[in-house]
Amino acid sequence: MTAVETTDAAVPVRTSSPAPRRAVAGGARRRRGSTFDRLLPYLLLAPAVIGILWLIGFPVVSVVVTSFRKLDLGELVRGQVVWVGLDNYAKVLSDPRFWEITLRTVVFTAVVVATSVVVGLVIALLMRQLSTPVRILLQVCMLLAWAMPIIASTTVYQWIFDQQYGILNKILVKLGFDYAGHSWFSTGTATLSVIGLLIVWQAIPFLAFSLYAGVIGVPADLYEAAGIDGATAWQTFRAVTWPELKPLLMMVTFLSLLWDFKVFTQIWVFKEGGPSGGSTTLPVLQYLEGISQSHFGVAAAVSVLMVVILTLLTVSYLRKLLQTQEGKL
Amino acid sequence: MKGLRGLAVGAAALAVAVAGCGTSASNTGTAGSSGPKTLTVWLMDGSAPTTLTDALNKEFQDSNKDVTVKYEVQKWGGIQEKLTTALTSDTPPDVIELGNTQTPKFASEGTLLDLTGDASNLNGGEWLGGLKDSLTWEDKQYGLPFYASNRTVIYRTDLFEAAGITAPPTSNDEWLAAIEKLKTANAANPDFQALYLPGQSWYTLLSFIWDQGGDVAKKDGDKFVGSLDSAQAKAGVDFYKKLVDASGTKAPKDTDEAKPQQMEVFGTGNVAMMIGLPWELGGAVKANPDLEKKTSAFPIPSKTAGKSAPVFLGGSNLAIPAGSKNVDLAKSYLKLLSGKKYQDQLGAAGTVPGTSKDTASLASNPVGKALAASSANGKVTPATPKWAAVEAGQNPLKDMLTAYLTGAKSLDQATGDANTALTALLGG
Repeated sequence: MTAVETTDAAVPVRTSSPAPRRAVAGGARRRRGSTFDRLLPYLLLAPAVIGILWLIGFPVVSVVVTSFRKLDLGELVRGQVVWVGLDNYAKVLSDPRFWEITLRTVVFTAVVVATSVVVGLVIALLMRQLSTPVRILLQVCMLLAWAMPIIASTTVYQWIFDQQYGILNKILVKLGFDYAGHSWFSTGTATLSVIGLLIVWQAIPFLAFSLYAGVIGVPADLYEAAGIDGATAWQTFRAVTWPELKPLLMMVTFLSLLWDFKVFTQIWVFKEGGPSGGSTTLPVLQYLEGISQSHFGVAAAVSVLMVVILTLLTVSYLRKLLQTQEGKL
Repeated sequence: MKGLRGLAVGAAALAVAVAGCGTSASNTGTAGSSGPKTLTVWLMDGSAPTTLTDALNKEFQDSNKDVTVKYEVQKWGGIQEKLTTALTSDTPPDVIELGNTQTPKFASEGTLLDLTGDASNLNGGEWLGGLKDSLTWEDKQYGLPFYASNRTVIYRTDLFEAAGITAPPTSNDEWLAAIEKLKTANAANPDFQALYLPGQSWYTLLSFIWDQGGDVAKKDGDKFVGSLDSAQAKAGVDFYKKLVDASGTKAPKDTDEAKPQQMEVFGTGNVAMMIGLPWELGGAVKANPDLEKKTSAFPIPSKTAGKSAPVFLGGSNLAIPAGSKNVDLAKSYLKLLSGKKYQDQLGAAGTVPGTSKDTASLASNPVGKALAASSANGKVTPATPKWAAVEAGQNPLKDMLTAYLTGAKSLDQATGDANTALTALLGG
């Protein structure tokens, strides 16, 4: 995104500065002036570009470079550089667990993103129908949920689902179900379901607010026209709301995909990727390799592979994003 | 072409989103500037009593003008990760405490200062053997022993008396019988637990496995391979389940003794026994002072009557990070701490002092007595730098216990899976 903005900013500089120069006509000076003119926008851009490269580009390059090194605690402390070529990748890719974890991560991300976007959209549409006081109440509640620190809400969820003292089991028992001492974390899938619920809960406020902004941006006369034509609620949604909301929806889906794919905190705090590694996702694997076992090179290889997988997952969106921008430019 | 370029841009943006493993390491030697200095000391939660550390820090500051001791107490949970980060930074702490099972990892990677030459200055002749081995790497010493400790069964004397148990159990059968008696005597209390034993208390499991004659791993050439699938190890795991089932413990089956802290549960007064360290009893007494007069300890019983089970000799070493800027100060701080005065205080606090062979102060209380009785039979985890990864990541022993206790896996499957995972960790 940043790159697009900087190009836009450079355009006025280029068009405005040559104007006075041209007024002072003169062969040699003009040529010198034009070289300067040609360089000027780049010079003006330079500080920002260097800053961006340093802050953003360097870590990326560093991860890629690290993934080709053997970097354990010893190498790190001694500042030693040991190149191992593709060994780290070979180690990661030859581990059957990696593919299992990748599949789990992709499925988990897909389910969480789909659920949170759909629920967010429904709440956004609902908010348009609500009376102002009720809507404000809902918005305040969502804002509070959103403002809650991740660890705090994770702890609350842990207690809700606690085997012995959890309020959920207590309520279920009161309702007559046999849930006394039921463990919600007996398998990896069960654990990820609870964690997924938490992540959806944390993601909904942002999605609902963003999509609500899109919903109120749809011109009211379109709905009026649809009403006059006798469209049902579903038809109105398909013909009016959906086309207007689609770009925004794709944008937030894309963002959610990025965020949910690399979720680590909640998963680690809940069960450290357990039981028996059943809720281990790629970010957890990265942590286990890097921090727990101090194989930083292998962890970097996992990071690079994560980027590749994420690129593959979002390839169609990236292509669309590009087309729209080219259309605009 | 344009499409490809766009993809590359997108991929770069994604890379930014996932990046987080970049590194840079640079180490400078000791800076010899004068003026006010700060000595940063990291000791662990529950290690040394505050009376000891307060006196120590005061004495050190009094004899070293211009020096402030920045004393920080660290939690055991996540300490390896914290140390990894701290030791590779430019400003590590000056004195650190390391668990004995974690020390080989840090010693073998050159993150700690070689103290071989200073040993004589640090009471080197009286170092505790088990701990000395853990801090020795390729014949060099990368620290000094701090204290050692081991688990005993901490119990409520009043509840034992009320249940008609005259003497602490000295065999597994007597132990199980005592649990039954306690349950009968306290049937009226719905919150009563004869023994609090969480599902992942794996240091306790080590005792049972060793008692049956098994081990977690055995040396094969220059590598360790798991031996959890041996009949003896399985028998140990099975006895763990027997205890959990017999005691009807309400402890979660998928956490260890730190979640929740078992001393807090013991402090509620509804628990007759817990398998723990002396400092855990201290914590329980602090929360519930009534318990002080009603608690004692006995060594973990063995399958053989009259003997006690081997125990995991837990303990800590003290070390100076290789990147410390105040090496000389750190050394004199450790010299002070390794002296008899403070070592005796460690003993009085209920731990085996690391740099003093005089353990008379230890036997002054019942827990210390039980501790001293069983520590003779102390054992340690496989002495390999790889062991730290077992504890810091997803510990296969914990997964094994939870899977077997909850019935998710059979004994053969649980031990087999854990063995495979353990071998992979110790080999990788």
